[in-house]
Amino acid sequence: MTDGKPILLVEDNELNRDMLIRRLKRAGLAVIAAGDGQQALELMTSEQPRLVLMDMNLPVLDGWSACRQAREDEHISHIPIIALTAHAREEDRQQALDAGCDDYATKPVDFPGLLTKIEKLTRA
Amino acid sequence: MSLRRRLTLSLVTILILFAVNVGTHFWGSYARNESMIAYRNSVTATQLSTEVEQLLEDQRQQTLVLATLRDTTDDQLEATELKQAEDAIATITGKIQKLGKLSHSVTELYYEQLWQSSSRLLEGWLDFYRGYNDPQVRLDIDDPLPFLEASQRLKELEQRQAFIAVQRASIIDRTIALTDRITVIGFLASIFLTATLGFFLVRYTNTSLKRLKTGTERIGSGDLNYRIDNIDDTGELGDLADAFNDMSDKLRNAIYDVRKAKDSADEANAAKSIFLANVSHELRTPLNAIIGYSEMLHDELEDKEEVDLPQFQEDLEKIIMSGRQLLTLINDILDLSKIETGKMSLHCENFQPAEILTQVCESLAPLLQKQNNTLQWSNLTKLPTLYNDATKFRQIFTNLLSNACKFTENGCITLFAQSLPERPGWVEFGVQDTGIGMDAEQQSRVFEAFVQADSSTTANYGGTGLGLAICRDFTTLMGGSIDVESEEGAGSTFTVVLPSDPELALAAV
Repeated sequence: MTDGKPILLVEDNELNRDMLIRRLKRAGLAVIAAGDGQQALELMTSEQPRLVLMDMNLPVLDGWSACRQAREDEHISHIPIIALTAHAREEDRQQALDAGCDDYATKPVDFPGLLTKIEKLTRA
Repeated sequence: MSLRRRLTLSLVTILILFAVNVGTHFWGSYARNESMIAYRNSVTATQLSTEVEQLLEDQRQQTLVLATLRDTTDDQLEATELKQAEDAIATITGKIQKLGKLSHSVTELYYEQLWQSSSRLLEGWLDFYRGYNDPQVRLDIDDPLPFLEASQRLKELEQRQAFIAVQRASIIDRTIALTDRITVIGFLASIFLTATLGFFLVRYTNTSLKRLKTGTERIGSGDLNYRIDNIDDTGELGDLADAFNDMSDKLRNAIYDVRKAKDSADEANAAKSIFLANVSHELRTPLNAIIGYSEMLHDELEDKEEVDLPQFQEDLEKIIMSGRQLLTLINDILDLSKIETGKMSLHCENFQPAEILTQVCESLAPLLQKQNNTLQWSNLTKLPTLYNDATKFRQIFTNLLSNACKFTENGCITLFAQSLPERPGWVEFGVQDTGIGMDAEQQSRVFEAFVQADSSTTANYGGTGLGLAICRDFTTLMGGSIDVESEEGAGSTFTVVLPSDPELALAAV
């Protein structure tokens, strides 16, 4: 899992961002973080992360728009995205998948489950 | 014309025709009987005349024989023979009188002449018989004139009677023919009329019923705007159509009411769903931190060397803060739900607003410091004592002031309060900031639950989006109102107006 490329975590809530960065690092993953959708797109282009964990309620550019833009940009469209949100209804899941996310995890995050999803999407 | 009137009219017409037929029959019978009696009288009289003629002839032969005998022999007429002859003559007189009784006004004259001539003849014969035995009496019985005259008169009467009989017979025939004709015509007219009336009645009723049927089918299939208005009847069928129209009106209204009720129920249901989704979302955010940090600390504890005590303590504080935030959120949700179900009540007491506002401002210090804001307040000591719910008053201004802090950085927050000179008994409180402000659309929705100026606001500034909804509901409950004035980038001013007069406050409760 360590081919040099980090995982990008997009999360605006400071507490949650800090907590997830620490847990992901502890799990042995390289992590970079962004606080809004715009920043996330920029980092995706410049850093070419292996995978993106994307919160949906984001300032400046929300997660759904960021996903759609990422899918239209050929430089970054291959990067898998896991939506990470407190919206827990089935239609919220569908909305995230429609926006171009590869997978979906609800908050509070089931961390082992999240690791499995990351593993699955980055194995190829 | 109503159906009942049509039916009655038809029935009456048929009954009249029937009555005409029966009347004709009775009149015919009566007329026939009359003529029959006259005819029978005439026939009887004719027979009687023949009989009398015969008797007269016989009697004349007898008298002629007797006269010859009297001339040629001396034989006396015996008393019994006289009696016999008198009887015979009396019989003839009786029969002639009987003829008189049978005579008609038309034959009266002929009878009178007969009676005179026959009386003369018969009296002559009586005189002959009575004077037969007396040779002194001269009897001229041979003279044929009286007998011929009487015979003549009798024949005339007989002819007359026969003529009348023929006439009567012809009248009877004519009467029978006439009544027959009238009966047949009446019968045919009845049949024709009944058939015609029946046809029109059936056609009219059928048409009306068909229209009613079409109408009920249309109404039944849900076209409640359809009206049965093509029935030209002011009677029963018209009434029936009116009743149907009335029914469909009421149905339409009822369905409209039901649809409206359903729509508002759906709306309420949708609002509840959205509320629930929002609640779920808001609860998950602090829970994510609580569970995440707890699991992380739990993992770290497994490796004793990894534990960095100051960091550990800091992380625990984050858990506690998130827990408190969660509690606030749950309380806010319960408050809103209580207000919305009408279960929120006021606990009124006298309090000094300045006291409470000062306490709120003091508790705000850490937040002010964090955002590098300054707070000014003025005029608070001049405020009147309020009679209202102090706890809710405190919550309103805690919410407004912490909001102002949250959305302002390196700015100034002003708290002002004054009695309104143009509205005696009312006090105005204002919270003004120099923060990010809102556009008109955001201002119009800012008091709705779970609405912050935009979806990213929560992300940037935190909060539940319930604070202002609670402020609005509380001020309303307390008999006052809340308003906002703002400009994007130039800060916002929230104004709360509350009654200071206890009576106004009580009236609001």
